Amino acid sequence: MNGERLRPYVMLAPVLLVEAWLIFTGIHTAFEQSLGHFPAAGLSGYSLKFYIAVLKNPDFLKSLVFSFYVAFVSSALAVILGIFLAVLLVHSPRKENLSNYLYRLPIIVPHTIAVLLVLSILSSSGILPRLLYALGLLSAENAFPGMVFDRAGIGVILTYLWKGTPFATFMVYTILKNTNPGLFEAALSLGAGRWEAFYYVVLPLLKPAVIPSFLFLFAYAFGSWEVPYLIGPTHPRALPVLAYTYYVSPELSARPYAMAVNMVMVAVSFILIYIYSRQMARAGW
Amino acid sequence: MERRFVNLLLHAAIGVMIFPMAVLVLWAFAREWPWPHLFPTGFSVRGWVHLLNPCTGVLPVLLYSVLLSSVVAFLTVIFSLPAARALAFHEFRGKRAIEIFVLSPMVIPTTAIAMGIHVNFIRIGLADTFWGVVLAHLLLCLPYGIKILTGVFEALGDRIEQQARVLGAGWLETYIYVTLPLISPGLVTAGIMAFVVSFSQYFLTFLIGGGRVVTFSMLLFPFIQGGDRHLSAVFSLAFIGTVLIWVFALEALVKRWVKKGQYFYT
Repeated sequence: MNGERLRPYVMLAPVLLVEAWLIFTGIHTAFEQSLGHFPAAGLSGYSLKFYIAVLKNPDFLKSLVFSFYVAFVSSALAVILGIFLAVLLVHSPRKENLSNYLYRLPIIVPHTIAVLLVLSILSSSGILPRLLYALGLLSAENAFPGMVFDRAGIGVILTYLWKGTPFATFMVYTILKNTNPGLFEAALSLGAGRWEAFYYVVLPLLKPAVIPSFLFLFAYAFGSWEVPYLIGPTHPRALPVLAYTYYVSPELSARPYAMAVNMVMVAVSFILIYIYSRQMARAGW
Repeated sequence: MERRFVNLLLHAAIGVMIFPMAVLVLWAFAREWPWPHLFPTGFSVRGWVHLLNPCTGVLPVLLYSVLLSSVVAFLTVIFSLPAARALAFHEFRGKRAIEIFVLSPMVIPTTAIAMGIHVNFIRIGLADTFWGVVLAHLLLCLPYGIKILTGVFEALGDRIEQQARVLGAGWLETYIYVTLPLISPGLVTAGIMAFVVSFSQYFLTFLIGGGRVVTFSMLLFPFIQGGDRHLSAVFSLAFIGTVLIWVFALEALVKRWVKKGQYFYT
C-alpha cells in the first residue's frame, strides 16, 4: 500500500533530480554572486550594493523597458495572428492539405535562422527595399527606414513573430478542431452577431491555448539572447545581452552586475510561472 | 464565395511565412546579388563546396551535432516517459506544484541561469565536455518531452493496458507490446521536439561547451553575425535539411518497429 503511494514520486524522481539540481545551482550561484560573494574575484561578504547600482543605472532601466516592450508586442501579436490563422485553417475546405504542414515549418527553424530571414527581407539591401525601388516607391538604397538594429526593435519583434505565430496557431488549432462548431451556430441563431459569438463563445474556449502560448512566447522573447544580440539595437540592449556583456567583461568584478541582471530576469519569470499556475488552478487544466 | 476568400487569406498568410525561405534558397546559390537587382546576377555553389569539402571539417561537426542532439532526444524521452505517466495516471500530494516545477524551464530564461550553471560546471569539471552540454540541453528539452507525453497518456487512458494485464500479460510485456506501440506517435513528437531544441541551441552550447564542444549552430552563427549572406544561407539550408532528414528517419524507424507484429495498431 505504502509502496503504491510512493510510486508516482519514484517515477518523477529522475526528472525532478536533474531539473532541481540544474535550476538550483543556476539560481543559487547567480544569487550568491549578485550579492557580491565571489571569492575567485577577491569579493567576499554579502551586500545589496550591486542590485542598487544596477537598479539605479539608466541603461538597465531602458533595457528592462525594451525587453518588456519587445516581449509583450511580439507575443501579443503572435497570439492574435495565431487565433486568426487557426480559424482560417478550421474553415478551410481541405483540412489536410499542404498548408496544414507548411505553416509549421518555422517551428523547426531556429531563431538564428529566423534572424537571417528577417535580415534578407528587411535590411537596407533586402528584398523589400529592392521591390519598393523597382516599383518606383523608393528613391535610393538608404532611403529605406531602418528596420533592423533599430531602437524600436522592429527586426527583433518580426523575428519573434515569424517564429511565434505558427506555435500559437498550432496550440489554438488543436483545441479549435476539437470543439463543436454547433456552439458558434447556436450563439448565432440565438441572435448574437458574428463577432459577439466569437468573443463570448469561441474565445473563452480557446483560453487554455491562448494564455500558455502567450506566457511561453513572452518568456522566450524576454529571456532570449541570440535574437537581440544579432538584430537588436546596441542601445538600449535587451536584458540578456546586457547581462552577457557584463559576464564576459575581462574584469571579474563586473560579474556581480551580470548576476544581478540575471536575478531580475529570474524574478520576472517567477511572476510568469505564478500567473500560469493561477490560470491552471482556475481553469482546472 | 466565402470559402474561396478563406482559402485566399490562408494562402496569403502562409505565403508571407514561406516567402523568406525562398529568398534564402536564392541566396544559397547567388554568387553576386548587387542592389537593386531582384534576382542574383550570377550563380555559384561556393558555399556548398565549402560545406561538403572534407578539408573544411564542416561535415564532422554536423555529424557530431546530430549525435549530441540524438543523445539529448533519447535521454529526454527515457526520462520523460515515467514522469509523464505519473502525471497522467496518478493522483498524489503536491502534483500540481510538481507539474509546474517540471515545466518551469520553459519560462525561466536560459541566459539567466546558464551563467550560474556554467560557474558550477567549471567547479565540478563538467564545463567544456560533451556530457556537460547534454545535461544543460536536457534542462530545456525535458519540459517539452513531459508536456507532450503527458498529453498523449491522458488522451489514451490506461484501459487497453489493463485489458492486457487481465489477459495475463506481465507489466514488462504490457509495456513493450502494448504501451510503447500505442504511444509511439507521441514518442516521435517528443523526440523531434527535443532534437530540434537541442540542435538549435547556440547560447547554452557556446557557454557550457566553452568553444570545445562545437556544434553546427556554432558554425552557422558567425556567418549570420558577419553578414555573409551566401554562406549563412547555405548553412541554414543544411541545418533545416538535416533536421528534416533526421525527422523522417526517426518516423520511418518507429513505424517499422511498430508494424512488426502489431496488427491492432493503425
